[in-house]
Amino acid sequence: MAENNNELSYKLVPSTCVYCGTGCGVLLEVTGNRLSGTLPQKDHPVSRGALCIKGWSVHEFVHSPRRLARPMIRKDGELVETDWETALQAVATGLAGARDEHGPDSVGFFASARCSNEENYLLQKLARAAVGTNNVDHCARL
Amino acid sequence: MAEESKKNDEEDIRILAFLCNWCSYAGADLAGVSRFQYPPNVLDVRVMCTGTISPYFVIKAFQEGMDGVLIAGCHIGDCHYLKGNYMTAKRFQVLREALKFLGLEEGRLRLEWVSAAEGEKYADVIRSFTEEVKALGPSPLRGKKAAKAEVGA
Amino acid sequence: MSDLKTIVKEKLAGGADAFLCLKNEEGTVLPALITDADSPDLEFVDVGESRYPLGRILIDLQREYPDKRFAVLVRGCDERALIELSKLEQIDLDRLVMVGVACSTEEAEACGCPRPYPGDIALGEKVEAAPGREVIDEVESLGDAERLGWWKEQFSRCIKCYGCRNICPMCFCKDCALENPHLVEPGVIPPDFPSFHIIRALDMTGRCIDCGLCEEACPADIPLRSLYRKMQDIMEDKLEYRAGGSVEEKNPLSFLGTEHDIEKLEQE
Repeated sequence: MAENNNELSYKLVPSTCVYCGTGCGVLLEVTGNRLSGTLPQKDHPVSRGALCIKGWSVHEFVHSPRRLARPMIRKDGELVETDWETALQAVATGLAGARDEHGPDSVGFFASARCSNEENYLLQKLARAAVGTNNVDHCARL
Repeated sequence: MAEESKKNDEEDIRILAFLCNWCSYAGADLAGVSRFQYPPNVLDVRVMCTGTISPYFVIKAFQEGMDGVLIAGCHIGDCHYLKGNYMTAKRFQVLREALKFLGLEEGRLRLEWVSAAEGEKYADVIRSFTEEVKALGPSPLRGKKAAKAEVGA
Repeated sequence: MSDLKTIVKEKLAGGADAFLCLKNEEGTVLPALITDADSPDLEFVDVGESRYPLGRILIDLQREYPDKRFAVLVRGCDERALIELSKLEQIDLDRLVMVGVACSTEEAEACGCPRPYPGDIALGEKVEAAPGREVIDEVESLGDAERLGWWKEQFSRCIKCYGCRNICPMCFCKDCALENPHLVEPGVIPPDFPSFHIIRALDMTGRCIDCGLCEEACPADIPLRSLYRKMQDIMEDKLEYRAGGSVEEKNPLSFLGTEHDIEKLEQE
């Protein structure tokens, strides 16, 4: 609350819950510059004003201090911070290595509910077009 | 408590008694030293004042499989904290009605005023309450938790 | 009778820093905070048919902006909520202007509100409605064992979404008893019977203002409103108090007590 710029602002942004394929309507509360809460969208055709516990807390991860803000790489069993260049290089080398050695279906892609639809689309594109596997799954698959 | 339940027969009922430190606990003590006989189905919990007893405690007791809950405190006007038992009286009325609406038999919850000098009354209360709860039988809420404790043991 | 848009403008010109109301944008009704008379949202302000917990939103707003004055659009239920919240020290009525709107006959009947209009009505016509008692009567016609079974069946549908608590304008505690692992076992669905629901019912006693948002938000259609309504009946019967009345009236569960309460208990 302290970091608020004190400019009076509160708005509700209609959105769709990202946690599963049902697609319940949520209203994200934005107080000042902070995502502060979630309300169910009363006249939403799918959820009709109800949410499950995941929908009710859909805003919580955004400002979570436990969220990874930088890429990490494991060195000698310890996760250490690194830059994007090194991290992506490590991922690319590892995936390409596995594909070349054991075939494309040795690689799997697991998408996240906390990413946007578009980001998830790009992930499956990467899996199918670049690596050549249909091993794509998502934590919110119903 | 697990041992306690093993010792008791399956059909034996268990009662949790919340006793206020200043009156009813002393009353229970007096009943003991005076060697008044009363049924052994009661587990005591000493609290500083009945006013500190949240309705949650009573709910928790029933949830854990208690068959009856007794709340005993100082007579009105004798509260060590002047008006703690007024709060109890008010909360109790609401709680009793709530449990009734839910379908828990009224006889499973009781409020009594027992002073430090009323050892005999304490024994009487326990006798009559135990009888009443025994007549009602084991609590319908016993099942799940008790079964779980059994598995865990 | 003036329209909502004019009233919002008036209040903003008359000292309110912001007006909390509802807007209807392309058929979606949602709360909106209007901070100035040029706001594009002003075109969409509408009483709408959907209700939101404006009291709950105002608690956060007043806390976040302690030096601002707010105006708010209230239905009967919102007004009762704000009055009760002020008694619980969660809302500062001195920094708040309420603009009352009476619910229409259809709304009032569909909702079953005990008082579908606020004290001062700026918009709409006052109509009366009768709170539904079907569920309470049904439960009371049953014997103890059937009652317990009836509730067990209702509560067995609970998916523990905490929606009843989250949407409730009267729920504001930072530490909620329903999240206390000693009272409600974590990770168990449906939650412990009956502790989860009875704890909430007890917390609603003398507090619930019968807005029915809990039941609207419940994905399992548990008759929560009737349960809490019964608790208010008990409160009124035993302790002569009903939440959401006048600001001066004190909740009997908020102070130690009087001889009167004891006399009532001893009569039984």
